[in-house]
Amino acid sequence: MSDQTATSPVTWHAWLTTTSPESRRQAKLGQLYRQWLAFRKNPAAVAGLVIVLALLLLAAFAPLIAPHDPLAQALDQRLLAPSAKHLFGTDALGRDIFSRIVYGTRVTLVIVMLVVITVGPLGLLIGCAAGYFGGWVDTVLMRITDVFLAFPRLVLALAFVAALGPGLENAVIAIAFTAWPPYARVARAETMIIRNADYISAMRLQGASQMRIVLKHVVPMCVPSLIVRTTYDMAGIIIIAAGLGFLGLGAQPPIPEWGAMISTGREQIFDQWWVATFPGIAICVVALGFNLLGDGLRDVLDAR
Amino acid sequence: MSTNSAINVDKLNVSFGDSHVVKDLSFAVEPGESYGIVGESGSGKSTVLRVLAGLNRDWSGEVDILGKRQPKVRDKAFYRAVQMVFQDPYGSLHPKKTVDDTLAEPLAIHGIRDAEAKISRAMQDVGLPTSFRFRYPHQLSGGQRQRVAIARALVLEPTILLLDEPTSALDVSIQAEVLNLLQALRHERKLTYILVSHDLAVVGHMCERLLVMQFGRGVEEMTAQTLAARAPQTAYAQQLLTASEGFRRAG
Amino acid sequence: MNATSEQALLTLDDLRVDFHTPTGIVNAVRGLSFTLGRERLGIVGESGSGKSMTGRAILDLIPHPGVVTAKRMEFRGKDLTTMDKASRRKLRGRHISMVMQDPKFSLNPVQTVGDQIAEAYRVHHKASAREAKERSLSMLEAVQIREPGRVYDLYPHEVSGGMGQRVMIAMMLIAEPEILIADEPTSALDVTVQLQVLKILDDLVTSRGMGLIFISHDLHLVKSFCDRVIVMYGGKAMETLPAGELDRAQHPYTRGLLGCLPDLDHPRETLATLNRDPAWLA
Repeated sequence: MSDQTATSPVTWHAWLTTTSPESRRQAKLGQLYRQWLAFRKNPAAVAGLVIVLALLLLAAFAPLIAPHDPLAQALDQRLLAPSAKHLFGTDALGRDIFSRIVYGTRVTLVIVMLVVITVGPLGLLIGCAAGYFGGWVDTVLMRITDVFLAFPRLVLALAFVAALGPGLENAVIAIAFTAWPPYARVARAETMIIRNADYISAMRLQGASQMRIVLKHVVPMCVPSLIVRTTYDMAGIIIIAAGLGFLGLGAQPPIPEWGAMISTGREQIFDQWWVATFPGIAICVVALGFNLLGDGLRDVLDAR
Repeated sequence: MSTNSAINVDKLNVSFGDSHVVKDLSFAVEPGESYGIVGESGSGKSTVLRVLAGLNRDWSGEVDILGKRQPKVRDKAFYRAVQMVFQDPYGSLHPKKTVDDTLAEPLAIHGIRDAEAKISRAMQDVGLPTSFRFRYPHQLSGGQRQRVAIARALVLEPTILLLDEPTSALDVSIQAEVLNLLQALRHERKLTYILVSHDLAVVGHMCERLLVMQFGRGVEEMTAQTLAARAPQTAYAQQLLTASEGFRRAG
Repeated sequence: MNATSEQALLTLDDLRVDFHTPTGIVNAVRGLSFTLGRERLGIVGESGSGKSMTGRAILDLIPHPGVVTAKRMEFRGKDLTTMDKASRRKLRGRHISMVMQDPKFSLNPVQTVGDQIAEAYRVHHKASAREAKERSLSMLEAVQIREPGRVYDLYPHEVSGGMGQRVMIAMMLIAEPEILIADEPTSALDVTVQLQVLKILDDLVTSRGMGLIFISHDLHLVKSFCDRVIVMYGGKAMETLPAGELDRAQHPYTRGLLGCLPDLDHPRETLATLNRDPAWLA
């Protein structure tokens, strides 16, 4: 590219889709760009992405978007129906539900991100190690995985929270403990297929150490399916977090966690339906968004 | 069996569980020679190559390479001397690494400096244009991938190259180019080749001597001239030769 | 050189197969014409030449987004281009059949081989299970499988490559089609097994008076097995000639292809390589 300053879309597109990239960066960016182009063609996937981006934006700009303080109680304005002033109405303590939902995106995001960041890499490494080394390493790691897999997620999460006490951080730990086994299982299955590939044999033939092969060659092949599963899982994590919140075991009041909001609103569900319904819709929409995004990513990254 | 052989195999036996895949195999390859191993599926020919490459540990017998008795697990220095090219051009390159990554990796593992120049040189030697340097394998044709595989094998400057059906998966016209490339490289660098193939014509073209294997045993060793003269001594070798000539309709 | 029209089992005129992909149209077959009589017709080409697509187009097995068009596509006088999907489907297996390359992938792994052959029979003929089994057993004998009763109950992973291919042939010929399309039927087999399978195929095709389209990349094989050969490149036929005359082929692509094969009888230092003339694709 002789004209460095031209940043019109035509030039960028040509630079990214050239068949002869001139640097590693150009090649990598070109790959990502092609994946983006493929992703864009799927309307459901784009819808999912939009929802997730909206979640991120709401969380980032909550103070600017929420019209009221989510924690401000106004006992003379309890249980008001949705109106121009209170888009989603008010709850039993007069707090604006819309603002609480907007701030609730932060809580949701924190839970989801913390879980995913710990669980994804952990499950991946355990699974890849078990799959590549086999033998007793495989047996030990997989039996540990089996123990965690044997428990129903919500029950195990409840047990942890009961032991550790309620609260946001403990809810995250509890969910994380139950979320990692499937990743390990899947990473192991993929690794067992990959380890027989010629390109892995070729790496051994170059004198690469086992560590190097696993970390630099096996793990990158497992990452795409990990990303897809993580995205799908986020929907499940949100629902479990909401479940914990509903039971009073997650984020404690007055933190505007959506599950807890449904719980406090269930008494009024017939007369003041908005108190429980809007948080419920928020959970549905976000879970759906992650699912659609996961579908779209799977078609692009992990197509079979 | 001279002690100056590049490769000396004595009474090699390989078993996977209950199946005895290679039985009491012995042969020797001279330095600078191109030695072929021919057989059908189940003959054990690819297994022999994998044992020589150190990819397989379930063997017994004696394997000497470049004068040294080889253990089951090979060290890094071994891989500077012996390299392998695999059959399937679609499986032998890591799908997520560019050509540059693939060629840089062995150099990084062995701490060889001046990687930049060596990579350019390797690509040139196998006839790949520099514009391909940052392509991914799925952006290359089968023949181009095989060239990358050959470049990868040669970038460490080995003296012995093990070739496992290197052109079986390629179109005939591409096969000709790749075989010519392998011949040229062998002459330039004085390499020793062991070429495994099911295709007698390819082995007859590329090799000076060849071994016919069947069901894990070495059946007959002969020169390329004997093969061309259609004068093998064993019935099985004759059978293979006849079969490779094509279909004969009775009457 | 064409078969005479009263004998022609299949007539193709200007067959085109185009794939409408998001990044543009891919022309897999570009104007192929030939007729097939009761003979062995070989279609030879490298990968991407369109030879496999031709076979699938005849059977209406081209997947989306492929589109098949032709000026004429007739099976025994019946126009295939205007036929509805259901009628095309009835032709498949009953009148025109296909044997594919690798029995590992073309046989159903969870059904015994005998059941698969029997099912192939019952798809096209009203028959009881017992009658279908008897016919399957006699078909297994016809492809020279000893102990057909024992092999009937085997699963595909329990039979060797050559046997699996013979099972495929049995399955595809049990409904007694008039045309068999064989797409690289022996490429996945060892060279000694190849000849056995080809002989069985040859005998069956001859004794039943069938037409055979033999698709392959192997020039030598096609030269020795077929009566006529079409050489394809880039979706078009470069040359059509009797198999016996292949050594005296005129087209530079065919000559180039023959020239780059290593030959035990004519050893050379370097193999001739093919210079692809863009004019061939025009």
